[in-house]
Amino acid sequence: MASHSFLWGFGKKFFTFGLIGLTVSDRYASILPVRGASMSPTFNPGSNSFGGSLFDDYVLVEKFCLDKYKFSRGDVIVFRSPWNHKEKHVKRIIGLPGDWIGTHSSYDAVKVPDGHCWVEGDNLSSSMDSRSVGPIPLGLVQGRVTHIVWPPQRLGVVEGNIHEDRLSSS
Amino acid sequence: MASHSFLWSFGKKVFTFGLIGLTVSDRYASILPVRGASMAPTFNPRADSFVGSLSDDYVLVEKFCLGNYKFSHGDVIVFRSPHNHKEKHVKRIIGSPGDWIGTHSSYDVVKVLDGHCRVEGDNPSSSMESRTYGPIPLGLVQGRITHIVWPPQRLGAVKRNIYADRLSSS
Repeated sequence: MASHSFLWGFGKKFFTFGLIGLTVSDRYASILPVRGASMSPTFNPGSNSFGGSLFDDYVLVEKFCLDKYKFSRGDVIVFRSPWNHKEKHVKRIIGLPGDWIGTHSSYDAVKVPDGHCWVEGDNLSSSMDSRSVGPIPLGLVQGRVTHIVWPPQRLGVVEGNIHEDRLSSS
Repeated sequence: MASHSFLWSFGKKVFTFGLIGLTVSDRYASILPVRGASMAPTFNPRADSFVGSLSDDYVLVEKFCLGNYKFSHGDVIVFRSPHNHKEKHVKRIIGSPGDWIGTHSSYDVVKVLDGHCRVEGDNPSSSMESRTYGPIPLGLVQGRITHIVWPPQRLGAVKRNIYADRLSSS
């Protein structure tokens, strides 16, 4: 009976820690792989090579920002794709509601509507982002990327830098 | 010491059940109040009267549908507003991706985009509907309403009404 109660106690601890881990991952922070080259060189700088897909960067995604929905320009966010709700994408916020975004291909400036944000990948030559699909509703955002946690030689904080020449606040 | 260990184990039980409740509420089902008259008579049929706001319907919102993202015509869903990501709205789905929706205000027929759906309130006279929103990305959906749980005299399942004259599947 001693081993039975030991297994039961172990099972309860395992269940509790699993539940804590699940809640933390849902609500506070989780670790996700980044796939693709649309955010080079910030993520996956070598993904054009043959070995690229074996070395996806893993990043820490924090979800504290979702409670207050305080995003800043230059934050890298994870969001559900508006075209396929089963997919998540990673891009950088360039514009917040009310900002005017300048487009490179014409002299137009686009105003970001209420409740939306303008996102772009760091690798402008191969990134499907707001330049083609338009602003993203902020309700689709799933979290903010703060750190790269793998591979170890690229461990570190993800910087929030933007190109000042692209936007002007209204 | 007997009361100390009693409090400790009681505290652990409260914590564990609280965590289970939180996880279930986040991932599987929760109970939310419905405010406003846009879904009358399905919800809040008397919201125009003085005592209406004291008797908001409480509904059971299930989130199992989010795992497979299987929504149908006639489902009542809870979604984050695309204009204000901090607000949640309750409407009925009248169009799934690929459907053609007829609009009342003109003779146009609009095709519902991939990954989006069109929603409308049951109360045709006072509702900020999808004709104002445009299509809603399915990634904004937070759950599906299955039952009314309060007040007790209106306890029951929420039926799926399909406005067959408004749409035709492609």
